Amino acid sequence: MLRSLIFSVVALGLVAVPAAPADDVNDATEKAMKQAAKSVAPYVVKIETAGGRETVGGGGGGGGPGGGPPPIRKGVGPTSGLVVDKDGYIITSTFNFANKPSDIFVTVPGKDRKVAKVVATDTSRMLTLLKADYTDLPVPPAFPKADVTVGQWSLAVGRALDTELSAAPGYSRGVISAVGRIWGKAVQTDAKVSPINYGGPLTAIDGRVIGVLVPASPSGEGETAGVEWYDSGIGFAIPFEDVLKVVPRLKGGKDVGRGMLGFNPKEPGEEYNVPITIGSIASDSAALKIGLKAGDVIVRIDGKPIPHYSALRHTLGPKYEGDSIDLVVTRDGKELKFDKVVLGSANTAFAQPFFGILPVRDDPELGVEIRYVYPKSPAEAAGLKVGDRVMKVAPVGVPQLVAITGGRTQLAQIVRGFPVGVDLQVLVRRKKEKPDDKDKDETVKLKVGALTEELPEKLPMPSTAGKALEKPKAAPAPGGPPKPPAGRNKPVEEEKADEPKKEKDKDEEKDDTPTGLLTDQVNKTNAREYWMYVPDNYDKNKSYGVVVWLHAAGKGGRDAKDMKKIWEDYCDSANFILIGPKSKKNEWTSTEAEEVAATINAALKPYTIDRNRVLAHGMGIGGQMGLYMAFHSRDLIRGAAVSGAALPGPAKDNLPNQPLAFFLIAGDKDPLLKEIQDTVEKVKAKKFPAIYRQLKDFGKEYIDQKTLDELCVWLDSLDRI
Amino acid sequence: MLRRFCLLALLLAPAARAADPFVDVTEKTNQKVLKVFGAGGFRGATNYSTGTLISADGHFLTVASQTLDTSELIVHLADGRRMKAVVLVTEPELDAALCQIKVDGKKPGEPTGLNLKDYFDIEAEAKRPHAEPGDWVLAFSNLFEIAMRNEPVSVMQGTVMSYSKLHGRRGIFDFPYTGDVYVVDAITNGPGAGGGPLTNRKGELLGFIGREIKNSLSETWINYAIPTDATVTLRDGDKTETVSLPEFVRLGMQGKYKPRIRPVAASGPGGYTGIKFVPNVLDRTPPYIDEIMPGSPAEKGGLLVNDLVSFIDGEPIYSIKSYHEYMKRTRADMTVRLEVRRGDNLQSVELKLGEWPKGMLKPTVTLPPEKK
Repeated sequence: MLRSLIFSVVALGLVAVPAAPADDVNDATEKAMKQAAKSVAPYVVKIETAGGRETVGGGGGGGGPGGGPPPIRKGVGPTSGLVVDKDGYIITSTFNFANKPSDIFVTVPGKDRKVAKVVATDTSRMLTLLKADYTDLPVPPAFPKADVTVGQWSLAVGRALDTELSAAPGYSRGVISAVGRIWGKAVQTDAKVSPINYGGPLTAIDGRVIGVLVPASPSGEGETAGVEWYDSGIGFAIPFEDVLKVVPRLKGGKDVGRGMLGFNPKEPGEEYNVPITIGSIASDSAALKIGLKAGDVIVRIDGKPIPHYSALRHTLGPKYEGDSIDLVVTRDGKELKFDKVVLGSANTAFAQPFFGILPVRDDPELGVEIRYVYPKSPAEAAGLKVGDRVMKVAPVGVPQLVAITGGRTQLAQIVRGFPVGVDLQVLVRRKKEKPDDKDKDETVKLKVGALTEELPEKLPMPSTAGKALEKPKAAPAPGGPPKPPAGRNKPVEEEKADEPKKEKDKDEEKDDTPTGLLTDQVNKTNAREYWMYVPDNYDKNKSYGVVVWLHAAGKGGRDAKDMKKIWEDYCDSANFILIGPKSKKNEWTSTEAEEVAATINAALKPYTIDRNRVLAHGMGIGGQMGLYMAFHSRDLIRGAAVSGAALPGPAKDNLPNQPLAFFLIAGDKDPLLKEIQDTVEKVKAKKFPAIYRQLKDFGKEYIDQKTLDELCVWLDSLDRI
Repeated sequence: MLRRFCLLALLLAPAARAADPFVDVTEKTNQKVLKVFGAGGFRGATNYSTGTLISADGHFLTVASQTLDTSELIVHLADGRRMKAVVLVTEPELDAALCQIKVDGKKPGEPTGLNLKDYFDIEAEAKRPHAEPGDWVLAFSNLFEIAMRNEPVSVMQGTVMSYSKLHGRRGIFDFPYTGDVYVVDAITNGPGAGGGPLTNRKGELLGFIGREIKNSLSETWINYAIPTDATVTLRDGDKTETVSLPEFVRLGMQGKYKPRIRPVAASGPGGYTGIKFVPNVLDRTPPYIDEIMPGSPAEKGGLLVNDLVSFIDGEPIYSIKSYHEYMKRTRADMTVRLEVRRGDNLQSVELKLGEWPKGMLKPTVTLPPEKK
C-alpha cells in the first residue's frame, strides 16, 4: 500500500513535470526549432566572393524609370549555400552572384575554406550550382514536396551573419504561407527571407529541408527579381526535391532554362477570361516543330484542362527545356493530340517576319508599291524591284491569293501572321518600262525571313504618294477580269484601311493644325506640358513620323529650341513631327508613362500620323524613360533611339502586332557603357532588331552628326515589311 | 484508480494553464517603456523615439539620435503622465543616451521622488548570459509613433538570428557602434523604435532596439539591438579604455561620465607588405598582385605575382580598396596572416609587416562617389 502510494506520488510527479512548464507553451516549440537549426547546420555552407560590381539589376544610375526593379547595391558580405552532393556540389541562389564577382570561396562547416567554381545556373528557378574540392560531404534529407502544408512551421536558415560555423546557424521563424507559387515553382513562407539567407535552407521543424531560399517574383525574371520583397513576410523557396532533381542536369555544366512551347497568344493581355488561341509562332520553337498553327486553341496539357493563359503558365512554369508534355489543341473544331512534345528553350524568342521591302506611303491604289528593296533580303532573292507593286499574297499551295486592298498596313499585318521560313507565292505587278506598256503581272516565290537590323545607306525619295486622305481603292471582284481601279465611293474594309484618316472636318483643318515651334502647350485633360515642332510645309496628304523627345534631367521644356535646331531640316524634308513632353519633376518616373502617352496621342490627333514610325528618343534619364515607354506604351511607340541609357531588367517579349526596334547609343567614356552593352544583348536576345553605335571619346554628350544621319535613315525605314 | 487519476492529470494540466504566455510579460514590460518626443519632424527626421526605464528615479536609456537635440524633451509614461526630460550624457560609440525625467521644482541631481515601481536594473540584467540564435524574443517600441500617453507601446515577437558584429551604414557613413548586436527577425527597423527594450520570452532585458540603418555587408535594412552588456573601446588621447553600457549608466547617473575627445582617426597606410596591385579601375577591383618589391615582407613570405589576396586574418578582402582599408588598421612589426588564391587553391602566408621605405608612394584610399 505504502509502496503503491509512493509509486503514485512518483507517478504523479512524473505527470506533473511535463505539465509544469505548460505555463509557457512555447518552450517545447522553441527547443524543437533550435534542434532543427542544429541538425541542418552541417549542410549550410558559407559563401564569400571578391570583385564584381557595386550595384546590380539596374541601369546603374540613380533609379529612374525602368522595366524592372530599381538598381540595388549588392552587398559584399557572405551568403549561404546548401550541400547537394557528397563530391563538393553546393546549390545556392543566383542572386548571390548577381554582381558577377571574380572569385568565389566556400566553407563547409568543420572543413577548410576552398575556391569554388560556378558549374551551371538554373535560369528558371534562379539557382546556381557550385563545385569545390571536397569529398564525402553530407547531403541533407528533403521534406517531401507533396507533404508541405500551409501553416506548418518553417525556418529560414542562413549563414551570412554567422562568424562561427561550428555553432548552429541563425534562422528566422515563420510558417508556410502557400505552395505552388511563382507558377508552380516555389513555396512561400512568412519567415524573413533576404540576402542574409538567400541560398540557405527553408527547414521544417523536424530538421528536413523544405526548400532553398531564393528571391522570386511572379511577374519578373532575372537574378534580382523579387529582392524588393526581402524581409517583407513574403519569401520563397524552391522545393528541395525539385532542386535535387535538377542537380544532375546542372552537373553537366550547361545552364538549364524554362521550357517553352514558343507561341504568342492572340490576345496577350487576357490572363483569365478566354481560352488561349495561338496568335503567332516563334521560329525554331516546339510549336513550329509539331506543326501548331495560328488559330489553334490550347485545350489540355498532360491531361489537365487549360481554360486560360494563367493555367498555361502554372502548368508550363515548372517545366524545363527538354521536358516533354502531352498536348491537345482544337483546330477548326477538331481535337488534335500531340504526345511527348519536347519543350524548347526560352531563347527561341519571336522574330518579326520580314519581306525586305519599304513601301511607298500614302498610296490609295491597289496593292503596295515598293520603295526600296533591302540587300540580301527575301524580297531581293525573289527578284522584287523598286517600283513593283505587291498585289496578292498566300502561302505556297493555297489556291486563292489574298488581295492587298488595305495598302501597306494590311500587307504588314498579313506578313506578321506567317512564321519565319514559310514559302509564299506573291503576285507582283511589274513597273512599266514605258507609260503605254501593259501591266505585267507575275507570281514569284518568296521565303519569309526574320527581321534583323540592316541600315540602308540612303533611301530613295519620295517616300510618299501624297494621297493620305484618299480612301483605298477596292479590289476587283474575285474571279473577274482585272479592271481599272474602282472609284472611291466603293465600300472598303474598315479594319484594313491604310493610313489613319483625318478625324476632323476639312473646314477646321487650318486652325487645328498649327505649324512651326509650338511652345508652352498644355494637355487639357491631365495638365501635362509639352512643346511641339510641326514643319511649316506640313501637308495633310502625307503621313508624318513622330519623334518623342524625352528631355534629360532638369531640362524639361527649355531644350525645345535646341532640339528644333538639330531636327528641323530633317523634319521638313522627311515629314516628321517633333514633340517634347515635360516631366512633372526634375527627372522622369515610370508612373508618368501613361499620361505622357495620352498627351502625345491628343496632341497628334489633328495631324496625319504614320503610326508605324513613332519613336521615343532621349538621352540619360530621358533615354531610360524612352526604353521604359518602348516596353510599356506599346500601342504607341514603335522604336526607341536612346543614348546613355540602359535597361534595368530583362527585355520584354517581342510581340508580332506591336513591333519595336532599337537604336542604342553609348559614349565609350560613359560610366554606363557596360550596362548599355548588356542592354544591346538583352534586346537582341529577344530578337528585337537593334542597332548599336559606340561613339569614340563621348561621355554624356548628345550624338554626333554621323550617328544623327544614320538615325534619320533608320527613322525613315521603321515601316519596313 | 491511479491510472485514471494520472490520465485526468494529463488531461487537465495543459487545459488549466493554456493562458497565452506572452500576456503577463508584455503587460509588465510595457510599464518600463516611455514614449519619447523631441526635435526633428522635418526633412524625414523623426521627432520621436522609445525610452527604457532603468531606475526608480526616472532614468531611462534611448538611442543617441537627433531626436534629443532639443531643450524641450517630453516623455509619456505608461500610466499616461506627460513629463519633461533631460539628457544627462550620451556616448555615440554605444549609440546610447542616458536621460532622466524632470520633476518641476527639483534641481538637477536631486532625487526626483518619482519612486517608479517598474524599471530594469541594468547591472543585474547585464550579468545574465547572452541569448543565442533561435531564442524567441519580444521587442517593445513606439514604432511609427502609434501610441500616446497611456496607450501601450507596440510589442513584436521574433527570433534571434545571430549575435554578431554590427556592420552598419547610415547613408554613406559607417555607423559608430561596431560591437556585437542581436540581429532579430522582428522588423524593428522603422522610425521611433530605437531605444525600446528587447526582452526574452520571460521579460528579461537582452538589449536596446537600434536605429534605421543598413547592414553594409548585405545592403539590407537590419533589425538589431545593442546588448545590455555592450562594451566599446574608447580612445582618449593616447590612452584606450573599455567602457560597458552598465558602467556608462552608473557613471552617468553619478554625473561622472566624461565624453571622450575623439581624435581624427589615424589615416596612415598601416604596415608595409611590399605588394603592388593591378591598377584599381573598377568599383571592386579584385586584389591581384601585380608586382612584389624586392626584399619586402611579401617576398620573404613567398607571395607570387598573380596571387589574389582573399582574406587577411580571416576577414574577407573583396577589393583593392578593402585591402587598403584593412591594412590601415595595422602597423609595422605586426604579423598578419594572408590567404591568397593561387590557381584553384588557397595558400596561407604569414607576413611580418615592415616600415614603409622612404620615398615610396603610399596608397591613398579614396572612396568612389557614393551612389544613392
